[in-house]
Amino acid sequence: MMEYLAALEGSAFSTWLRESSSIWAYPTVLTLHTVGLAVVVGANWAIDLRVLGLARAIPLDALASTFRIMWIGFWVNAVSGVMLFAADPTTKGTTRLFMGKLVLIAAAVTVMIATKRLLYGRAARAGGATRSAKALAVASLVLWVSAIAAGRLMAYI
Amino acid sequence: MSESVVHLLKSTAISHAMVNSIWLWPLCETLHFIGLALLIGSAGLLDLRLMGFLRRVPLAAAMQLRPWAALGFVINLVTGTLFFIGAPGQYIDSPVWWGKLAFLAVAMINIAVFETRQGRRLLMLADGADTPLGCKLAGAVSITSWFAVMYLGRMLPFIGKAF
Repeated sequence: MMEYLAALEGSAFSTWLRESSSIWAYPTVLTLHTVGLAVVVGANWAIDLRVLGLARAIPLDALASTFRIMWIGFWVNAVSGVMLFAADPTTKGTTRLFMGKLVLIAAAVTVMIATKRLLYGRAARAGGATRSAKALAVASLVLWVSAIAAGRLMAYI
Repeated sequence: MSESVVHLLKSTAISHAMVNSIWLWPLCETLHFIGLALLIGSAGLLDLRLMGFLRRVPLAAAMQLRPWAALGFVINLVTGTLFFIGAPGQYIDSPVWWGKLAFLAVAMINIAVFETRQGRRLLMLADGADTPLGCKLAGAVSITSWFAVMYLGRMLPFIGKAF
């Protein structure tokens, strides 16, 4: 495993990402990762808060299209995240904190998909904000906060 | 002038705590990212509606997102101020930081103009109606300036030599 990570780290692309003084290398990828985070987490939280009973005047039905916005943010971060990993694979690939972050994101995205199914799937009930939807909303808030904390702390290891 | 401000801030207990505590700075950074997502999520949705998208959301309802945007903003104003007090020199000397403040000012002026000129009138708009031009403009200026604030904030360590 370590050999593969080391090989990746030595590749021309990884070296460019890590060592180039260009603003378009590491800085831009990192910034895209922040922008994508704001989009996916921000839009997801808007749904969560609505399900939990805040801004109740907004019809839940009208928010179905925000899931498309979330997926845009998600893919921006999947791609920029893979690039950030490629820049520094031997450290990140062997860090528990990074593994923990990936698990948290996987869980948060699973909750996001489950929320969409529950609110807008074929079996969705009118009104929408059922107890299970509220439980998912709380899980989503907690998981994203934890994923953000894990991501931020990566800078300190 | 700026040197004495830097000197004064660095002599405060808050500044010492921010620099010397191992967990305070990372904690504030995490909160800063949480506030950012909350602000972009709620203000962004309202801005999109102001611009005429997401028309199935009644405008008056979208306006109910404002307290959440305000909460995100206050979290970031407080944590941002703590960063500044912690290491004033690196911010004052950075042109990127001044650019960030400029876009922050644009966002604030835009809110003031929007709230005084348009806010109340919009509540009378029929559900699902398209928005007037001034309103579209306010939404576009808002979403652009918040993304610019975020971009310049993240670029702080990479542009210029202050960090």
